[in-house]
Formats: sequence, C-alpha cells, structure tokens
Amino acid sequence: MTRAEQLAALRTDVDALAHADEATVLATLPQWDSLAILLVVSHFEHVHDLEITGAQVRVCRIVGDILNLIPPLS
Amino acid sequence: MHSSLSNLRLAGLAVTTGSVVRDFIADGLAAGVDRAALERTAKAISLRERRVATPGITALDLCTDATTRLLSEMGLDATSIDAVIFVTQTPDHAQPNNASLLHGRLGLSKSAPAYDLSMGCSGWVTGLQQAALLCAHGGAARVLLCAGDTLSRLTNPGDRSTDPLFGDAGSATIVEKTGRSAPLHFVLGADGSGAEAIIVRQGGARHPTGPLDERIDAEGNRTHEANLVMNGADVFSFTLREVPGAIESVLRHAGYIPATTDALVLHQANRFILSTLAKKTGFTAAQTPMSVVEHFGNQSSASIPCALIHGLGDRLEAGPLKVVGCGFGVGLSWGAFAGEIGPLTIAPILSLPR
Repeated sequence: MTRAEQLAALRTDVDALAHADEATVLATLPQWDSLAILLVVSHFEHVHDLEITGAQVRVCRIVGDILNLIPPLS
Repeated sequence: MHSSLSNLRLAGLAVTTGSVVRDFIADGLAAGVDRAALERTAKAISLRERRVATPGITALDLCTDATTRLLSEMGLDATSIDAVIFVTQTPDHAQPNNASLLHGRLGLSKSAPAYDLSMGCSGWVTGLQQAALLCAHGGAARVLLCAGDTLSRLTNPGDRSTDPLFGDAGSATIVEKTGRSAPLHFVLGADGSGAEAIIVRQGGARHPTGPLDERIDAEGNRTHEANLVMNGADVFSFTLREVPGAIESVLRHAGYIPATTDALVLHQANRFILSTLAKKTGFTAAQTPMSVVEHFGNQSSASIPCALIHGLGDRLEAGPLKVVGCGFGVGLSWGAFAGEIGPLTIAPILSLPR
C-alpha cells in the first residue's frame, strides 16, 4: 500500500478521521476519543495484520504519526 | 496450561439477571451526552440495553436464585452436591467467601467443600475446569459452579467509557461425573503484566479506604479510587493478542476445526470484539452467539453461561453440540474450552426480583 492508500483506508475505518489529512492534529477532532483509539487498533489488526496498543495510539499527535506506526514494508 | 478431563458432563445451566433495564441512549442523554455521539458508540459496538441489580441484590442473591431454579428443574436435592465453587469479584463480604454463604443458604452437606475463585470475565471457564477436575480426580460426583458479579456497583455513572457496558447477573452450572469418555479440553492462561488494564484500586488490603476525590480524564469521564476503571483499547489489544491463539490451541487439542464445530461461545464483551475474534479464528457470525451484550450488558463471569442459554438453549437441551468457547478479561487472564455439551437441563433466564 502507498502512504496515500494507507491514509484512505484509515479514514474509511475510523469515523473520527473521515475528513482528516496527515497533518491534522488529533486533539482538534471532536470524535477523537477512546472509541476512535479502539477503532484504530482494530484497523491495524484487520488491514495491516499488526498488533498495536492503545498507548501507542494515544501518544500520536497528528494523523501522520498513526501512519508512522506501520512498518515501511507493510 | 492445557488439560483434558474425561468422564464428566455439563448437566445443567441457569442464569438470573438484575431486574432494572437501563437504556444506553436514554441514560446517555440524561447524563448530558450528545445524541449523535451516543448513536455513534451504540452503532460501533452494538450497545442497546443492559440489566442491573436493584439496591440490596448481590451476586450471591442472583446465583442463589439461579441455583434454586436449576436444582428444581433438574429434580435434584441440594444435599446431592459434593462441592461448590463460586466465581466472583463482588462477594458479599471480605470474609467469609460467597461459596460458604451459599453452602449455608442451600443447606449443603458438611462433606461438601466451598470455595471462591476471584476471577472476572474468564472465570466461568476456570471454574468449569476446577469443577471438572473435582469430578475427574477429586472424588466428587456432582459439583455446583456459580459465577456472577454486580459490576454496575463498581463503575462510576460519570464514566461514559465504562459504566454503560456492564450488566449484573449470576449463573449456576452443574457438572457431573459420568461413565462417558469424551473429554472436555481446557487452555488457561494469564498475563499479570497487564493487571492495571482493568482495576478497582480501593477496597482490598492494600488500600482499604481513602479519599474518593473524582478525577476527570481528557474525555470528561469521572472516576474515583473505588471505581472499576478499564483501559478499553489496551484490553482490546490484549484480546486480539491472546484469545485467538487460545482458541486455536484448544481446537487442536479437541481435534476440531471451525467448519465442523457447532458454536463458538465467547465472553460477551461487545459485538465489535466478538465479530473480530470470530473472523480471526475462522468462525462465521452464525456460529457465534453475540447478542447477550445488547440485551443484558457485559455480565462478567456469567456471560458465557448466559450466551449458551440465550444463543443455543434449545439446541443444547436436545444436544450434544460441539462447542468451543473462551472467556477473557481482568487479570489479565483467559480460559478456552472445547468439547461436546448437551443434552442438558436449562432453567430459563429470569430476573430478580421478579
């Protein structure tokens, strides 16, 4: 997947990110909450076959930080 | 840890729930939560309503009612029970344990030992393994396993991330020694490094009492030291990491494959988690009862017996079914089982008081 495809897939699965781009600051999104973090963890499992923790997502500042959790060859 | 235990059967099941029906959307609106946000959560993890206990009703009361109804349905006298195991984390008292209180209430034989297992959502499977051990190797012919909690008492109504999830219920399961040789298989495990993911900090010997000042998190959820606090995303990560492997392992031990197994019965955490686990382990949605949480809430250790009755009751009464199941949660801990269940006696799901 290209980085753009990874972002598109993330936006599809996590409603809080539906209109976000890579530079969007997560804390500014009204729906960025514990449910959104759970949906990100689930998205990584389904789409990338990667197990990540809520803590890894919680420290992300912008949407691009979430995409950086995907290893380069994934 | 894996164990395979033979010459026993699951003979009866009953569940009694709290009697107060709480509606997720109505409760959220009353707490001042935006309707769109509530509908978003309700849709994502399928929350609708739950049943909680009225003041004064405890897990002991719910399990006593389930046991009394089940014994009556099975035509059994309480004195025929050789041991009682009570799985709960909301006992009536610090001492004595709930099993002893139930022993006294039911008038069990003095030769019947009575002990508690302090476990939550994985506890019914661990209790079943203990009951099976007592029948297979411990000299018991009939064991009563009670499992239930009143977790709604421990959550803070101001904690919208946790409070709406839990319902209150108590279950009774009768396990009997038989001449039958088909084994029940168990895979049990724990990861204590995740112990703080679900925790009630105050109320035990470490912090018996103390200030109950409320904290407010970034999302506005309120909790204090005596509340059940759960890190949902970390519990979800743990579940994805450990539960599929436990299910695959117990399937291997039983010689089952998903296609020829009748049902996957999981701890009813929420539909989102259950559908993810079913997909990951190769089971279809039709094989996996998922609706308990929408009607009753997350019932802790009573949720698997409730799912067995609610999702498979008629088929289990006719039995046998090849069933695989797994409980997972506080500890963190998990327990998977596989084997033939049924035909057995079921007392219907009722609430207390009625």
